[in-house]
Amino acid sequence: MAAGVAAWLPFARAAAIGWMPVATAPMPVPPQEKRRGKDGLIVLNVSGTKFQTWRDTLERYPDTLLGSTERDFFFHEDSNEYFFDRDPDIFRHILNFYRTGKLHYPRQECISAYDEELSFFGIIPEIIGDCCYEEYKDRRRENQERIQDDEEADPGNELVSADLSFRESMWRAFENPHTSTMALVFYYVTGFFIAVSVLANVAETVPCGSVPNRAKEMSCGERYALAFFCLDTACVMIFTVEYLLRLLAAPSRYRFVKSVMSIIDVVAIMPYYIGLVMTDNEDVSGAFVTLRVFRVFRIFKFSRHSAGLRILGYTLKSCASELGFLLFSLTMAIIIFATVMFYAEKGSSASKFTSIPAAFWYTIVTMTTLGYGDMVPKTIMGKIFGSICSLSGVLVIALPVPVIVSNFSRIYHQSQRAEKRRAQKASKEAGQALVCKTNPNFEVHHHHLLHCLEKTTNHEFLDEKTFETSLREVTLVKQVSRSSSISSASSPHGFTSCCSRRKRKTFNVPNSNMSVGLQGSIQELSTIQIRERPLTNSRSSRSSLNAKFEETVPLNCEQPYITAAVISMPTPPGTTPEGDDSASSTDYSQANIVRVSAL
Amino acid sequence: MLTMNLEGLEMIAVLVVVVLFVKVLEQFGLLEAGYDDSVEDELELSAVRHRPEGLEQLEAQTRFSRKELQILYRGFKNECPSGVVNEETFKDIYSQFFPQGDASTYAHFLFNAFDTDHNGSVSFEDFVMGLSILLRGTVQEKLNWAFNLYDINKDGYITKEEMLDIMKAIYDMMGKCTYPVLKEETPRQHVEVFFQKMDKNKDGVVTIDEFIDCCQNDENIMRSMHLFENVL
Repeated sequence: MAAGVAAWLPFARAAAIGWMPVATAPMPVPPQEKRRGKDGLIVLNVSGTKFQTWRDTLERYPDTLLGSTERDFFFHEDSNEYFFDRDPDIFRHILNFYRTGKLHYPRQECISAYDEELSFFGIIPEIIGDCCYEEYKDRRRENQERIQDDEEADPGNELVSADLSFRESMWRAFENPHTSTMALVFYYVTGFFIAVSVLANVAETVPCGSVPNRAKEMSCGERYALAFFCLDTACVMIFTVEYLLRLLAAPSRYRFVKSVMSIIDVVAIMPYYIGLVMTDNEDVSGAFVTLRVFRVFRIFKFSRHSAGLRILGYTLKSCASELGFLLFSLTMAIIIFATVMFYAEKGSSASKFTSIPAAFWYTIVTMTTLGYGDMVPKTIMGKIFGSICSLSGVLVIALPVPVIVSNFSRIYHQSQRAEKRRAQKASKEAGQALVCKTNPNFEVHHHHLLHCLEKTTNHEFLDEKTFETSLREVTLVKQVSRSSSISSASSPHGFTSCCSRRKRKTFNVPNSNMSVGLQGSIQELSTIQIRERPLTNSRSSRSSLNAKFEETVPLNCEQPYITAAVISMPTPPGTTPEGDDSASSTDYSQANIVRVSAL
Repeated sequence: MLTMNLEGLEMIAVLVVVVLFVKVLEQFGLLEAGYDDSVEDELELSAVRHRPEGLEQLEAQTRFSRKELQILYRGFKNECPSGVVNEETFKDIYSQFFPQGDASTYAHFLFNAFDTDHNGSVSFEDFVMGLSILLRGTVQEKLNWAFNLYDINKDGYITKEEMLDIMKAIYDMMGKCTYPVLKEETPRQHVEVFFQKMDKNKDGVVTIDEFIDCCQNDENIMRSMHLFENVL
């Protein structure tokens, strides 16, 4: 809640008078007013710059330096002011925080200086307002990365390998090739062999000139089969060793096996082993040839060596929905135009448009403005529709592409920001909870106000969880028809106030559900109704208002507490005995309510 | 068959071409097919500035001391720098005190009760006069104020419909997560109880005299009227 709204609490409380004539139960006693401290101006002298503010303003946040008695340490008797030997420019923002409730981060200040000031004055950075929070976090991260980079570049700072186990150091070597010379060597060797393997795959298929005893030209692969086989074997051996080493060093083997890179590794080397295992059987050689295609996946192993490839893959993944939509709309257009072209060209003789799927090829080629010319419409109708098709193709393809490109960058940046924010959110909320200890005086009165509303309506606030669990219980047990209206006769005395509610414990009464409002005259005795409540502290219903209410509220309940108690189970349906000790309830059918009357 | 094909397809082709043409022209705005989708920005002149009357005058008109007026004004000005509260801000501020429910309807009625000159905004004078009655006024004045709040159309009578509106607004503030569960007819029943108590001559409306009479005879209400005297 904004600090300024606390100033409107008197108004909200006064407006509660509007409920009074409507209420049928008496209102709870208001908490005692804390004796207000002298409301005066405080002079804060920060390195010569004088700031002045009300005492109340500073005391809004009692667990910061300025809001607590800690500032007395800085009191300077001679000049009757508080003197701080700190930076006045940054102090301005800190003081504004007290005034407005929002902490801003000035862009021109150094992040570490700002952090120091915040920690000196006892303010958690997590409460920086949304307007400045991102900037603050970005700058902080940059700063930390810079410090980290400096540390890493500093050779005297390297982690001694003996600190890590052999397995961990191996994994580190794999992930960051720059950490040691061995890792660097390994990195370059594997890179070299990936390149060699890919080039060999490519070169295999190049025709190498004919051999006298064969009619057609041979490819190099067939001519120098042995050489290529040896090369392939060498590469596959290196890749296998690399994969096994990575598997050995991985901190979580299961996660490693599931990762994309390891799958690519496996797919890259599998064909070779399958080829070894299988003999030169005619039946499976077709499949075997297909398997060799997978060898081209070795090129994907380069993505470990290139960050750019990884980013590309990631952006494609994050824009999958956009791409999917583009494909879908294209498919729709293709089908429509192919159908139209087919029927248009049906009449002409020797038409290449033999079926609608055959017309697909024409449509795609035309819409992407390729225009191979292997299929052309011959009828006039066909030509008209063909031209419409090519025009619309330009629009359909050319227009969304820039949109998708800009979407890429937007989504990419957004997802990065969203991830950052998600990571920050948890710490931010924790910080908020700590700092939201607003004026305890305010909280007491606010809770009294809410309590008055509860009394007016004869319902109680619950938090979501309790509400849902109680709903579930109600559906299990037969609904009790209760008359919610309470007669104007006096209901329990205001002793069932905030204090006794806190004391209320859970009491698991079988078959009990909601309790009914009391009716009857109770003069001196106070009665606590113990209802079935899943949570021990129904106070948690208001905890959303203040995370640490229980600790900060000094309850001034001087009313007598319930000491001994009498538990009486009233028999349904009960009439109201005059001046009875226990109160009976209005008619209800099945509720078992335990009444605890004070003795 | 050739000719039939051609004719049929010709028509389709012509239709398609015409439709496309029209659509393209529409897009370019050369053909006004639809209605004017002009969205007029309503420039809300937020340059409304209001300065309250002098401190002495307010001191004379209300029952607050100088210091109290100062404190009140500072809080008021903090939340509403322009010096007046409009209904939206009012609802906002009031809703912050009741996070679990929807306080906007009740805030609306409150706003009308404070806005005594019905000009759509509550100035500091309106605010402080209202507070003066609520916090420092006699019981008679407070009851008067409450009656004014309930009497939505300010005709001097509280009808069941008006009371039902108010009751629903109050119950709305409780929100959904209550114990026991809020039912649809709860406000209505509460209104019945209220009318049973207040409407002495059973004519279906509550007049100011009936209201004040009945409240003065009810000790709970009397006691609660003094509840907030020490606020501030």
